[in-house]
Amino acid sequence: MKTAPALAHIRTALAAAAALTAYGALADPYLLRLATEILLVGTAVMSLNLVTGQGGLVSLCHGSLFGGAAYAAAMLAQQTGANLAATLAIGIAAGACLAFLVALVSLRSNGLFFLVVTLVAGQLLWEVVFHWREATGGADGLRGFTSAAGRPWWSQPVWLYAWSAAWACASLMLLRRYLRRPAGIALQALRDQPLRMQALGYSASRIRIGAFALSGAIAGGAGALYPFLNLYISPQAVHWSFSATLLIMGVIGGIKTLHGAFAGAAIYLLIQTYLSSYTDRWQLLIGLLFVVTVLFMPDGVARGLRRRGGP
Amino acid sequence: MSYYLLQALNALSFSVLLLLTGLGLTLVLSLMNFINLAHGSFFLLGGYIATQWLASGAPWWLAFPCAFVLTGLIGLLLDRFPFGQFYARTHLMQVLLTYGLAIIFADLMRWGFSADTLTPPLPEILRGGVWIAGLPFPTYRLLIIAAGIALALALWLILDRSLWGAALRACVSDRDIAETLGLNARRIFTIGMAVAAGLSGLGGALGAGMLSVHPGLDEEVLLLALLVVVIGGLGSVKSVIVSALILGFVDTFSRVWLPSFSSAVTLGAMLLILVARPQGLLQAQARTV
Repeated sequence: MKTAPALAHIRTALAAAAALTAYGALADPYLLRLATEILLVGTAVMSLNLVTGQGGLVSLCHGSLFGGAAYAAAMLAQQTGANLAATLAIGIAAGACLAFLVALVSLRSNGLFFLVVTLVAGQLLWEVVFHWREATGGADGLRGFTSAAGRPWWSQPVWLYAWSAAWACASLMLLRRYLRRPAGIALQALRDQPLRMQALGYSASRIRIGAFALSGAIAGGAGALYPFLNLYISPQAVHWSFSATLLIMGVIGGIKTLHGAFAGAAIYLLIQTYLSSYTDRWQLLIGLLFVVTVLFMPDGVARGLRRRGGP
Repeated sequence: MSYYLLQALNALSFSVLLLLTGLGLTLVLSLMNFINLAHGSFFLLGGYIATQWLASGAPWWLAFPCAFVLTGLIGLLLDRFPFGQFYARTHLMQVLLTYGLAIIFADLMRWGFSADTLTPPLPEILRGGVWIAGLPFPTYRLLIIAAGIALALALWLILDRSLWGAALRACVSDRDIAETLGLNARRIFTIGMAVAAGLSGLGGALGAGMLSVHPGLDEEVLLLALLVVVIGGLGSVKSVIVSALILGFVDTFSRVWLPSFSSAVTLGAMLLILVARPQGLLQAQARTV
């Protein structure tokens, strides 16, 4: 990570904050909901970009971390009617704990082993969610948690949007800082020169477990807000195909960037929302877009276009 | 007692399907260090080809060689473009490319073969059951087991006893030296990819009558095949056979004893094995320099 001029950074941050606020004030509820979904899913993609892009570990359980935290938050809201801040905290804790557990068993080796263990761990959680009907509603999913809470104000689209935007920005800044700290630099170094890092005395598993837990906390925070978007959560959010979808979004936006995650999530969700009303074959288009990205713009759309457009 | 014998035969027939897909995946992985997440698509395609063939009224036994050849041909084409360019690249890029292709294939097959669950019309001789120890057992599954044993033997002979297998194993263990000795590694890779795809397609063709084919089967099979490969460890037919048997038996018997939590039990057991033996069951501890 280069140290960019502080002034330009502050200007970009202010412009982004102003754009998010203006959108929140002006957009109609439908567009607001779409933007909230992009922000939440984009945050989850960004947490995956940390592990996969910067850490070099292909994780296929991030959907399960996101979905697991979403279920934890939804169940808490249903049982106790806790407010949004408390559900966010629970989501972060659930995401971090799940990620820590997965990291403990999966980080014994990287490459294919890591891929398969994260996949199996995520599917195990899906089996629990799918079959534990009393708590999670099984295949029907979970709904009806605001009426039980009795305080429906937070399901107002603007509030949820504000919380999501705040969490997305906070996560982005946190990850930016983390990648400039020694732990973050060590994570990238482990991706590029694992043997040298070992020889220098770094503990690969400790650094990676830390990064994975951080990534899980961020995904979990986004997951905790997700059920309130449609006041419904389905087991599909825990399934491994959702984890793979997050990976697709990450690659389309640029797996080695952080902000590209939001671009990738936006492109995917816009295609899904608008194209699926014209054609049944939208998954084919997503697949083609994805393969073309991998073949011709492996750094993602954001960087690929910039390179084509100029310096 | 005879009930458990029948369940063991069920497990055996499931293991054969796992063996055929797992063998292809491990071949590609140990030969060119290529992770192919589109491998499940070959299985599903083989299943659809067999279903169409059996419904068309042509001689039924030709359905299986036909599925092998056609899916092998697809593997051959994919090796030319785009797989060939990705053999030397990182696992991340391979995973991304092949998963993208798997999405495309899944949607194309849903388009071409409908989104319904299809069961192939089996010929008269395979439709009934035979009595084993006083209980009926489907003839078709016996065919699967017999075919599996024959194929495993044939593959073992080819890979471990023939000159061609020796060339292939040489490329697995040291590609550079093998090329210095005059072997065309690139051509061997192409053949390997085609055979791997064909084996998976053959597994799908045999499995069509047992599992019935439907969209989503490709992902289920891919997960199982990945498990077979990682549990067994890379590089030998024996390890794939052992892990396919373990996975087949654990899955079948968890269905018998704990029907509502069978998948969770299977996945949990596999996770335990993976954590206990990260290098694979039959693999010696690899030396990292």
